[in-house]
Amino acid sequence: MLRVRGAADKYALKTENLTKTIGNLLVVDNLNLEIRRREVFGFLGPNGAGKTTSIKMMIGLVKPTSGRVFFDGAKSGSAVKRRIGVCPQDLAMWDVLTCRENLTFMGDMYGIPPSLLEARVNKLLDLFSLTERADQTAAALSGGVKRRLNIALALVHDPEIVFLDEPSAGLDPQARLLLWEVIRSLRDEEEKTIVLTTHAMEEADALSDRIAIIDHGKLLCIDTPEGLKQTLGKGDIVELQLVDPRMNEKVLALMKSLREIEEAYQLKGKIALRALDATSKLPTIIHSIERAGGGVSDISVRRNSLEDVFVSLTGRALRE
Amino acid sequence: MNMKFVKITSKGTRETFRDRRGFLFLLVFPIFFIAIFSFGFGSGAFQSGSSLPHNIAVVNYDAGTQVVSNNTTRLVNYGDSFTQVLENATLENSSTKLFHLNNVSEEQANEMLRSRSIDALIVVPENFSAAFTSMVNDSARTAITQEVGEQAIASSTVGQNQVASAAVYTNPTGNALPKNVTLPEASNVTATLSIQGDAGYINFDAAQALITTTFGQYQNDVTAKAVANAVSGGDYNPLADYTPTEITPIAGTQSLSLFDYMMPGLIVVAILLQICLVSASLVRDIARGTLDRLKLSTVRAFELLFGTFLAWTLVTIVQVPMLIAVATELGYNYSLSLTSVELAIVIGVIAGMASIALALLIASFAKSEMQALELGAMIVLPVAFLCGAFFPLPQQVIEFWGMTFSVYDVLPWTHAISALQSVLTYGTGLSADVVFQIMWLIVLTAILFVVAVVCYSRERLRLET
Repeated sequence: MLRVRGAADKYALKTENLTKTIGNLLVVDNLNLEIRRREVFGFLGPNGAGKTTSIKMMIGLVKPTSGRVFFDGAKSGSAVKRRIGVCPQDLAMWDVLTCRENLTFMGDMYGIPPSLLEARVNKLLDLFSLTERADQTAAALSGGVKRRLNIALALVHDPEIVFLDEPSAGLDPQARLLLWEVIRSLRDEEEKTIVLTTHAMEEADALSDRIAIIDHGKLLCIDTPEGLKQTLGKGDIVELQLVDPRMNEKVLALMKSLREIEEAYQLKGKIALRALDATSKLPTIIHSIERAGGGVSDISVRRNSLEDVFVSLTGRALRE
Repeated sequence: MNMKFVKITSKGTRETFRDRRGFLFLLVFPIFFIAIFSFGFGSGAFQSGSSLPHNIAVVNYDAGTQVVSNNTTRLVNYGDSFTQVLENATLENSSTKLFHLNNVSEEQANEMLRSRSIDALIVVPENFSAAFTSMVNDSARTAITQEVGEQAIASSTVGQNQVASAAVYTNPTGNALPKNVTLPEASNVTATLSIQGDAGYINFDAAQALITTTFGQYQNDVTAKAVANAVSGGDYNPLADYTPTEITPIAGTQSLSLFDYMMPGLIVVAILLQICLVSASLVRDIARGTLDRLKLSTVRAFELLFGTFLAWTLVTIVQVPMLIAVATELGYNYSLSLTSVELAIVIGVIAGMASIALALLIASFAKSEMQALELGAMIVLPVAFLCGAFFPLPQQVIEFWGMTFSVYDVLPWTHAISALQSVLTYGTGLSADVVFQIMWLIVLTAILFVVAVVCYSRERLRLET
């Protein structure tokens, strides 16, 4: 669902002509992003597109060749470290420390007073369903639990912006749904801004308020998931079952003549149509069929997916 | 005040002690190393008492010489006499013999040297007795006439004696000597007692030193006897009733074995060995991404490195007393003083800190745990040799601003070994020399740590470019 924001919203993070070259290779090319407060911002791109380098420049691990990063107006630097939380794709934790010790240690490293830290650690243990495993060493945890601890470690200092890199990689469907709930609650209840990098299109679609797609270091598009699906890709597929199948040929010719329809063909006795934002065009389609003397007995719509959008933009599948 | 380095030390210590396999390896491997060396170099645990007696061979070609005394001529063979002295020589106040003699031919002895079945071979030349007699007589003559000199003897009205034909010397000065003294004759015959061995074999050095000392004492005793006979005018038979003098080692080294001499160096090598493990552990933090987490936090580079440094130092504090205890259990004869042990632990811990600093330096450049281990191994062994852990190296002195330094002195562990030898082996306590060595050890460790911090910060903690 698109979250409507008022004029009072500010940008939590902005990049200004962010560029990175390594040798002769242009890894990130003049990236300009404006990430709003309290939104889940999906940051997508195929492998080698420049996502990780862009993120690393934003969080301050990699020095940009040119360009700048601003956090709520302040330039990136040590002063903003407390405002950023980072959950890397690989599990980064101390194996022989317990969950509680891992979280407490990271809190100490951010200089959180012990009086606050204990409560915050307990809250995170509870939020990520880790309370029962609080005193187990990280090495003894299952992959899914480790993944939850990995995210909790990024939140222990209560950052305003959280970078989540492939947070659900390796999780089973149940754990993934739990994680999605946590991410939504971080946005809705904790009022945090989430920058989400993922290869799972359904995850980006389900969680992101807005999505940016980059390839070859360039920003290709930025919009809401709905907006992207309505304007990019091959479009929705509409399958029509006519009351009188003998009308199929006539209706097919009619559909092909409509400007809104990208493609029309017969499939197993049905008429299949492909069009961007087909749902909004359905009244027009049905009206045209009725005017031609036909009638529709059944309609099914397969929506344009984010993956279709992605492939149409980048020209390749995600996991190449 | 949030003492982040304390939290890092606490975390590091917990990590080290909880990783039982790693911790065990950290402690067991150096102990195993010490045990292997103690076996190889003859500690008390594996041999009875010490590396003594040295297994040697004496090939005696001495034809002997005629000695005239009180109108009696007798054949004297100093080669046989010295061989007997070697056979009977013992440590002072001890029944421990210095040498075990093998009765073999020179050819067999050379073969035994090559196979290191014996530590040294002594070849007594044919004219040894003639030369030795001359040397002893000359020494005795000099001892008797040292106040007046040969010129006075030559001008004496009663005893017109020349150097090689002296018979009786009339004492003109009225000193403690009797009026008429029979002067021993001296000649120009010379001979060389050959001590042969494998210069690369550390047992040869030890055996050679003891043979030289024994020969020196034998020579002194025989000379003293010759002087006494000349003065008393008695029957001059330097071999009669000769009792070999016991060897008196330098203070504190009674019954020390080769293992005892090497032990301080081995302790330092064991401490050096942890470089591989520490550097691999530091690189692991980089590989598993936890270092990136810390870089993203507000902890400063110095806090991070100092905290890590302290955590490993705590491991060293456990390690060093264990090494000394194990070495003692294996027969290391250290100076039995609690102060010495405490001082040795302090020296060992500082040497350990230098090792940790070096590990930090290696971790600055190693790209993987395996590379850290490889680099560590490549560095540890040459460093161990250069700081004289296994055997003393020839002095390579350099001059700098009018002062001379040994090139090995730039290594902190050189001073650690020297200080440990003084404190543990010789029991000198906190002498001026030990203080000097400890001061250098601290200064060089501090320099190494600063260099390591700078390199680690530059290579690991600054922004990737």
